[in-house]
Amino acid sequence: MNSSWRVEILAIFRKEWRIEMRSLSGLVTAFLFSVVTVYAISFAALNTHIPPTVVSGMLWVALLFSAASSLTRTFLIEEELGTADLLRLVARPHAVFWGKALFNIFQCIVTSVLVTILFLGFTSTQVIIPWLFGVSLIAGCLSLAGAVTLCGAIASQASNRSMLAAAIAVPLLLPLVALGVSGMRVSLGEGSLSGGGSGAAIGLIGYAVATLATGPYIFAAVWKS
Amino acid sequence: MAKVLRVDRLGKKYGGRWIFRGLTFELGLGDRLVILGRNGSGKSTLLRTIAGLTQRNEGSVVLPEGDPRHTLGLSALEQSVYAQLTVEEHLEMTAELRGCPARIDELLEKIDLAYARGVLASQLSTGMKARLKIGMAIQANPMVLLLDEPGAGLDEDGRNLVSRITEEQAERGCLIVATNDPLERRLANLELQLAG
Repeated sequence: MNSSWRVEILAIFRKEWRIEMRSLSGLVTAFLFSVVTVYAISFAALNTHIPPTVVSGMLWVALLFSAASSLTRTFLIEEELGTADLLRLVARPHAVFWGKALFNIFQCIVTSVLVTILFLGFTSTQVIIPWLFGVSLIAGCLSLAGAVTLCGAIASQASNRSMLAAAIAVPLLLPLVALGVSGMRVSLGEGSLSGGGSGAAIGLIGYAVATLATGPYIFAAVWKS
Repeated sequence: MAKVLRVDRLGKKYGGRWIFRGLTFELGLGDRLVILGRNGSGKSTLLRTIAGLTQRNEGSVVLPEGDPRHTLGLSALEQSVYAQLTVEEHLEMTAELRGCPARIDELLEKIDLAYARGVLASQLSTGMKARLKIGMAIQANPMVLLLDEPGAGLDEDGRNLVSRITEEQAERGCLIVATNDPLERRLANLELQLAG
């Protein structure tokens, strides 16, 4: 990446950061989703042991909803508010995609760390395979951010963009959730590495690479159409 | 005279109705074209089509050679700014994205917004936002400057600012102004009437 690309991508990231820090809409929404989910599960399972499958499923539900809050903010709101034209006039599409994807990754990681601490603390769940847990979480965040950014980018030009974004997100996110839950379930002690844990980790990494590598090209194709 | 912008048989239609069709003109250095027409006649659409923000259905637009982020500037009434960014942050961001010098102090002086450099766009008046959009449009010293209803929301000082900007633009390249305001005819040496 040459300095020009870096400056442009950071300009978009900084814009997203400043807007988020002044409005706090995305982080507060993600935080509320996380806290409410953890509270609800902890309350429902008071004094009972929650199996790793349920914990990993619930953890991913919280992550998914938090990430979904970025879906509208990423590109759809630029079109709704009329600021997308300004970006089209001054920015290259790859820089726009990467700047927004980086911010979504940042937000997703912050949220997932928070959700994980709350979940593991409240449900007294132990992580049996820490590296797999870490890979599932980090690769999951990269994949979620990549997929959400891609969905927003594809749908941004449609007339009923919010509905289309949600419709595209379902088939894109379902396999991701399945992979994430599989990896995390094994890391929490249910199942084995050879029985799907390693495969899920590789799948998550592949998913992240695929969405983040193809995203800018797909976005560039629809950005000015 | 060196040609700066060439529009050839340009056509745009919405839902089967041609907004304009067969538009052909060339603008050279120093040309200032004003586009007139009633509401809905396609003035803004023509500017957006020339800027590449709206897809054309036929014809072509030839801009000056180079990166369009540097050679073209657009300030439009319907264009929005980021409510949560300050005036200075807007200019800083657009310069970084274009890869051109930010010239923040010089631009703020020119658009008379130096006193509001740290003010969020959400707290700016309509006229101040219009000045900011003009500032962003001229930041890279574009060869082609497109102004859509530049006087809307501006006070007398603001209108004088637009006059100064158009004079400077004529020395640098060419200018197209879309307007309904008869007073803004004085900004131009060429006129194009869209029938709609």
